[in-house]
Amino acid sequence: MTAPHIPRAIARADEDAGRRPWPPKPGPGPGRIAPPLVPRAIARPFLAACAILAALPLLDLSLYTHNLLTRAYILIAGALAWNWMGGLVGQVSFGHAAMFGVGGFVAARMMLDVHLSPELCWIAGAIVAGVFALGAHPLLRLRGPYFSIATIGVGEASRVVFTYWERFTGGATGLSLPIDADFQYQLYWWALGLAAAVAAASVVIRRSSFGLKLLAIKADVDAAADVGISATLYQDLIFALSGAVVGLCGAMSASYNSFIEPNDTFAFERSIGFVLMAVIGGIGTSLGPALGAAVFVLVDTQLLASYPKLHLGIYGVLLIAIVLFEPLGLTGIGRRLMRRVRRPAPPVASPAERA
Amino acid sequence: MALLQVRGLTRRFGGLIALDRVDLALGAGEILGVIGPNGAGKTTLFSLIGGSLRPTAGEILLDGRSVTRLAAHRRVRAGIVRTHQIVRPFANLTVFENVLVAAMHAHRSAAGHARDRAADVLELVGLADRHDQSPGALTLAGRKRLELARALSTGPRVLLLDEVVAGVTPAEALAFAQLIRRVRDERGVAVVMTEHVMPAVMSLSDRIIVLEYGKRIAEGSPREVVSDPRVIAAYLGSEAPAAGEAAP
Repeated sequence: MTAPHIPRAIARADEDAGRRPWPPKPGPGPGRIAPPLVPRAIARPFLAACAILAALPLLDLSLYTHNLLTRAYILIAGALAWNWMGGLVGQVSFGHAAMFGVGGFVAARMMLDVHLSPELCWIAGAIVAGVFALGAHPLLRLRGPYFSIATIGVGEASRVVFTYWERFTGGATGLSLPIDADFQYQLYWWALGLAAAVAAASVVIRRSSFGLKLLAIKADVDAAADVGISATLYQDLIFALSGAVVGLCGAMSASYNSFIEPNDTFAFERSIGFVLMAVIGGIGTSLGPALGAAVFVLVDTQLLASYPKLHLGIYGVLLIAIVLFEPLGLTGIGRRLMRRVRRPAPPVASPAERA
Repeated sequence: MALLQVRGLTRRFGGLIALDRVDLALGAGEILGVIGPNGAGKTTLFSLIGGSLRPTAGEILLDGRSVTRLAAHRRVRAGIVRTHQIVRPFANLTVFENVLVAAMHAHRSAAGHARDRAADVLELVGLADRHDQSPGALTLAGRKRLELARALSTGPRVLLLDEVVAGVTPAEALAFAQLIRRVRDERGVAVVMTEHVMPAVMSLSDRIIVLEYGKRIAEGSPREVVSDPRVIAAYLGSEAPAAGEAAP
């Protein structure tokens, strides 16, 4: 496998899947596993958190925090979508920057040449990025490290092609986008909406029959085929979905910066970034990568200005610690703490029992 | 007409002919045993019928219609499903989810919701009380039951059992034999099974075919097959004095 932490992490990620009553109650649809798809225990705090975050700018929010949060939302959506592929199917992609860039440039071009509203341009970018991801269909025959290495190739090839395709991308000078300050400010809510939608989708996919099939494919492609699951079909589907969402993130990000440039957009560091966010947060867990993305943004913005290279060292140390001690990253640490809180130290036998 | 028909099935691996023009027919509700020494081509035969390997030549017909070119996952929908000699549970899913995910891809004649069918099959194989455990928590026999449950939940018409009894205790083997018979009797599933454990295959099979070096060397009732001199020679060598227990 790709790295020692990944298979172990995945095995643990699914420990909490069970604990359901027997016999299972008949549900409304053939595909449903355990209705409801989104448990109330998750839905309520989630909606509350979204509401609070949405209300923040109406209160007194500094421009700095506003900017930080907007960037974080976009990366959260991207990291969660990456995790559909890397966590659910276990196909670790080091090339998601390609979809990020394709979505960004298609949306940018639409904005400059077709003059559609930004929202429509984003959607167009997302669709093209999804179709672009489908182009990776031949790669999906590969598994594990072979797939990962092939995605590095695709990512780098896209970077080079888009850098030299000056008529479309403006080359190394990039493209400036006509985004006014008001819309840039409003992007906060768009980005929050996207992150919330992708987070909800992550939970639903994980608990749906689709997610179950993806997990089966991750466990054993051949055995999955032997019970009737078409690995090709479902991997294509989820890769296209993941690519479309990451494309949408790229498009929003370009609008937010009102600028896009190939070398930065398609940078290998960006692809690695998605992997890091997922690993830090908890690869294969439904919402862990969101946590990872938040940490990523914090570390990045806090350190980039004063110590330009220090963040790389911090990621390195974090990665080693996670691989060695907690394959599920922050989510795993959180679960451990929860368990300790819920189940305090085993009760010592009382003197009466001992007697 | 036979439910499953295999005609002239051949598979080469480079210069090696793993399976050489094998014919077989399986009637509805029949249990067919496939035996033969190690390397005779039993697992290759199963992989070809199950669709994970492509034949070099020959045809596989289900209900008179060719399934030779269907991919493995499509054959499951057509009604052919296999189990593996080395069990391959989805380790990241619970026992119930393992069966459920297979039930979602059932043969189109299968009735009811996937969840009900999965629950039903788990009861049948006796794993209902283990439904929320990880497959890793099961014993080998338990995992073999799970493998069987997963195959059954697809609602097959032809079930290919590759050494399902191998490696379990004699008591478990007996329980498996009863289970397989029940599957046939209650669900009308036709079974093709390979087995090294002779008592199991002899008592279960209506008919047995014997493979050696990829060729079919004998066919008949269990009693006929064990007394066939070619079969004895295949297992024990041609100088064998008498027809003893043919276990390897």
